[in-house]
Amino acid sequence: MKKTLAIALALVMSVAIFAACAPSPAPATPAPAAPAANAPAADTPATDAGDGEELYISIISKGFQHQFWQAVYAGARAAAEEYGVSIFFDGPESEADIDVQVNMLNQQLALNPDAIALAALSTDAVLSQLQQAYDSGIPVVGFDSGVPDAPAGQVLANASTDNDAAAALGAEGMFPAIQDQIAAATADSPVIIAVLSQDVTSESITGRTRGFAQRMLTLAGGVNDSVAITGGFGAINTGDADAAVRIEVIVGATPSIVDMTSAANGILTMPGLAGVFASNEGAANGILAAINAGASVPEDVRIVGFDAGTVQKAAVQAGIFMGAITQDPFHIGYYSVSLAVRAVRGESISDVDTGARWWDASNMNDPDIALLLYD
Amino acid sequence: MGDRVKKIQLQKLLAFGSLVILYLFFAYAGRNFVTVPTTLNILAQSYFVGFLAIGVTFVIITGGIDLSIGTVMICSALVGGELYRIHDMPLWICIIAMILVGTTFGLFNGVMVTKVGLPPFIATLGTMMVSMGLGSIITNVQSRTFPTILEADAWFARVFLRSEGNFPMGAVFLGSYLIITFIILNKTKLGRYIYAVGSNEEAVRLSGVNASNWKLAAYVISGLSAGIAAIFFSAAYTVIVPGTGQGFELSAIAAVVIGGTSLSGGVGSVTGTIIGVFIMSVLTNGLVSMGLPAPYQVFFTGVVVIVAVFMDIQRTKKANQVKRK
Amino acid sequence: MAEGTVRGEFLLEMNGIDKRFQGVHALKRCSINLRAGEVLALVGENGAGKSTMMKILTGIHSPDEGEILFYGQKVDFKTPKAAQDAGISIVHQELNLMNHLTVAQNIFIGRESKGFFLDEKSINQKSAALFERLGVKIDPQEKVQNLTVGKQQIVEIAKAISYDSKIIIFDEPTATLTDAEIDVLFEIIAELRDKGVGMIYISHRMDEIKRITDRITVLRDGEFIGTKNTAQIEIGEVIQMMIGRVTYEEPKQASTVPEGAPVVLRVENLSSVDVKGISFELHKGEILGFAGLMGAGRTETARLIFGADKRWSGDIFINGKKVEINSPADAVRNGIGYLSEDRKRFGLAVGMSVSANAVMASLDNYTSGGFINDTKIRAVSKEYVEKINVKTPSVGQTVKNLSGGNQQKVVIAKWLIRNCDVLIFDEPTRGIDVGAKSEIYKLMNALAENGKSIIMISSELPELIRMSDRILVMCEGAHTGTMPIEEADQHAIMTLATQKS
Repeated sequence: MKKTLAIALALVMSVAIFAACAPSPAPATPAPAAPAANAPAADTPATDAGDGEELYISIISKGFQHQFWQAVYAGARAAAEEYGVSIFFDGPESEADIDVQVNMLNQQLALNPDAIALAALSTDAVLSQLQQAYDSGIPVVGFDSGVPDAPAGQVLANASTDNDAAAALGAEGMFPAIQDQIAAATADSPVIIAVLSQDVTSESITGRTRGFAQRMLTLAGGVNDSVAITGGFGAINTGDADAAVRIEVIVGATPSIVDMTSAANGILTMPGLAGVFASNEGAANGILAAINAGASVPEDVRIVGFDAGTVQKAAVQAGIFMGAITQDPFHIGYYSVSLAVRAVRGESISDVDTGARWWDASNMNDPDIALLLYD
Repeated sequence: MGDRVKKIQLQKLLAFGSLVILYLFFAYAGRNFVTVPTTLNILAQSYFVGFLAIGVTFVIITGGIDLSIGTVMICSALVGGELYRIHDMPLWICIIAMILVGTTFGLFNGVMVTKVGLPPFIATLGTMMVSMGLGSIITNVQSRTFPTILEADAWFARVFLRSEGNFPMGAVFLGSYLIITFIILNKTKLGRYIYAVGSNEEAVRLSGVNASNWKLAAYVISGLSAGIAAIFFSAAYTVIVPGTGQGFELSAIAAVVIGGTSLSGGVGSVTGTIIGVFIMSVLTNGLVSMGLPAPYQVFFTGVVVIVAVFMDIQRTKKANQVKRK
Repeated sequence: MAEGTVRGEFLLEMNGIDKRFQGVHALKRCSINLRAGEVLALVGENGAGKSTMMKILTGIHSPDEGEILFYGQKVDFKTPKAAQDAGISIVHQELNLMNHLTVAQNIFIGRESKGFFLDEKSINQKSAALFERLGVKIDPQEKVQNLTVGKQQIVEIAKAISYDSKIIIFDEPTATLTDAEIDVLFEIIAELRDKGVGMIYISHRMDEIKRITDRITVLRDGEFIGTKNTAQIEIGEVIQMMIGRVTYEEPKQASTVPEGAPVVLRVENLSSVDVKGISFELHKGEILGFAGLMGAGRTETARLIFGADKRWSGDIFINGKKVEINSPADAVRNGIGYLSEDRKRFGLAVGMSVSANAVMASLDNYTSGGFINDTKIRAVSKEYVEKINVKTPSVGQTVKNLSGGNQQKVVIAKWLIRNCDVLIFDEPTRGIDVGAKSEIYKLMNALAENGKSIIMISSELPELIRMSDRILVMCEGAHTGTMPIEEADQHAIMTLATQKS
């Protein structure tokens, strides 16, 4: 009796608190994100009765919790309304959850969808699923970072940002502001341009890390003879670790915000620091948390972020970040559905570069940019 | 008797000595380790782990374990962030909500362990997943943010993180919490029964004491501490991402063991735990300052945890030897 | 006798107590009574119902039928605390102390102070007063884990007394005490008797029962057999009441080891932190008794021979050949088996079956290609269970459900199946009832006759003298003498056991 009472009490208390916080905790109905309102589709939500004729497209993303994915989702819904198809959109809670993503893919395959749009966390982990889709005649398209190095013919096209090119935009944006420091650097008083990355395994982050470092290497090489890429991403390291200008890649011990903050703090206390490039929202959050905790940004250090989000937008607004690169998550989502639908209809499709833009305090309120900057 | 006291003091001194040596080592070998920003970062990281670790110390002394504290902390913070950003509640209400959510989970763990009779490992493992899932459900799997020092409601960071003059405010709270929990453990009935239950629960029961209620209290304190930790985590990191939090419980438990609390129960102290917390945070920040790549940082943290557990086993062995004589 | 007897009033009456546990009829309308100022011995074999009776009295179980009268009033204790508050305390057989707390904290657990905050000073003072009254020197602020087992037992007793109990139950209180400590305990009991406290004394040691109790109540198979005045009954009679039959191994008059029997085990100059240069020889078919007080180093010597502890020096020879024993695995390989004094901790996996335990030391012989051969295991277990008469419904029975004597036999079976030639029995009859003791004695004699060599460590001198062919005496880690059984008596042994080296 006592036992039952105790359980009941605990349950009631828990439910009471949860209910107070989440009046509608259904995960399948997220609040519409800002870009949805500006979508090129009808403003009213699709209310088509399920007549069985409607196409069903499974969209498996790499995540769900960053606001970036919410913008992708909004684009996908806009396209779904436009084409009159129904979509399923889900992704694992963390970009380390490769197994969770594989399970989601298996579950969707079991439902025999008309097409699949996939942003794979690991291509190797989904090879057999791709084969299965291919054998069953289910077209697969990639989005965001797509499905890199997928077997020929199994992924028909990608709607994605060219990460290398996008990050190179960051190097081009930062370079003019620190050009003089780079030119003046010598082996005795070196200058460091740091890249903070959450990991060096995911394709999109390695692509951005590489894209920024290599473009900066070229740009800096134009004004200083002694430039090198060093640090924690061995595959791209070049030149002498004692060079006058070092483009140093720093990777967090784990993707956790705590470790990213420690890594960011380490960067901000480096002597000779001239610039910092945060290769995703997690890295940007780490830098801002370090500053929030008490790290100061030296006068002439320039920080460039990637993507958007409330915190990063505030940092650009306040001038802590000189600017950032945004992808076009809305169009990534939009084109993932569009490519999928066209593939089902048998049209020939090819890769779509969804593009990237430099944004800073001066243009972030322009309508065409603001549309891309999710909260 | 005198020898025994000396031995315990020696152990604590040993842990404190390791902390000092570690700090001096990084001051020498690290790049810009002894700076205000790094010190503030070490502190900011120690606040939330400190609260988590003090809380779980209570449970570990009873011979139990609480694996849910990391995700409960994140869930509490997400509830607070949801109320703040989506429901536009005043920040102080959100703070109270965070503490309440943590405490509720603690109560839930306690009931599962002491009344339903689940093993602590299983019960809190379940709560770990429940709280992680719940945080995602409530926020629709979207991150929630707390005000930084630059925004409106900057007082949040000013009160719980660092003041205008860079005074480490979190340290004041953590220090006070340390004193309060020290008194509870050493000077009150609650503390006495928590040690007694960890030493020999059956003996406590046969002495006519309601052992299970006191044990339940340890889990409630652990949950409450996770709720408080959520405040300091939010103040330090501002962005709370759903689906995270796993792993923090292991940092906290590692700190507890490094601080001399035995995983087999009956022995431990919150002062030791705090020393353990700082050993962990000095270590992680020190390794960063040495410019070691990520895998090395993870590797060395693992080594320290193994050494600490090894020391725990040695301690238990020694205690048994004394008994046999 | 105390005045209570004269008035003939009973302090406690338990009448017609009946209790079943899931089909097992543990108590069959059992009755006992106790006067104020009296010590009542409660005896019976394990499983006779003594513990259940006491658990009902102290509120741990409630009876299915029957009534309890305390001061003539009907009482019904629902919890141990209720019984304690009424003035009924129990000194448990298995020490129920919190090792990491101090003596005073243990005694006053649950009664620390009125408020939320502790008052350490007051409980330390009260504890000190208690020990002064008992005439023992124990520091109230010492941690319990640093006390000897004997002193821990005294702490338990002090705790019971501190409740101002009207009734104190002692459950095998002397099992772990030295003779000196037993004397202290008996003085305490005598003093309590004078103060009118009624005491129930549960023990298997007949000499103690004879020495300290006023009346003896015998239970058998959950039934009340009878109550006798201690002064008017012989031990043999009590035992007969307990087991319903008379079987007791006769004491050895002379060594049964033939002249010139080969030396199986020779130990030279064995020493460690607790053992100082022990040397001795063990012959084929011999039972060598190890005598000494608690802490004399007997168990420690055995553990060195068995490779369980680190030795500083010394050599071990098996059949004249020097062997290196650095771990229990080495010892077992050389045919040495060790039966620990603490069966449950070191001897048995109590949650596993009889057969699993029986082959625990020789599993390699019952495994083929990595797979365990259950058929063979069951067969060999069955063979030995029958050979040494383990009372178990089947070899699949979980060991914890067996009585102490039968558990001990399972440990013996384990080493016999391993085919050990040297068996070290450490307190083989501790916590075992009289009937089972006799069977263990018989079994040991039979083993010796069949050529096994046995080292027997025991704190009960009568048992050592009854069983051994020779007796080796230790004191404070050193070997103080060896005597053939013809010359051994309690006086001679105690002289050597207290002789400082």
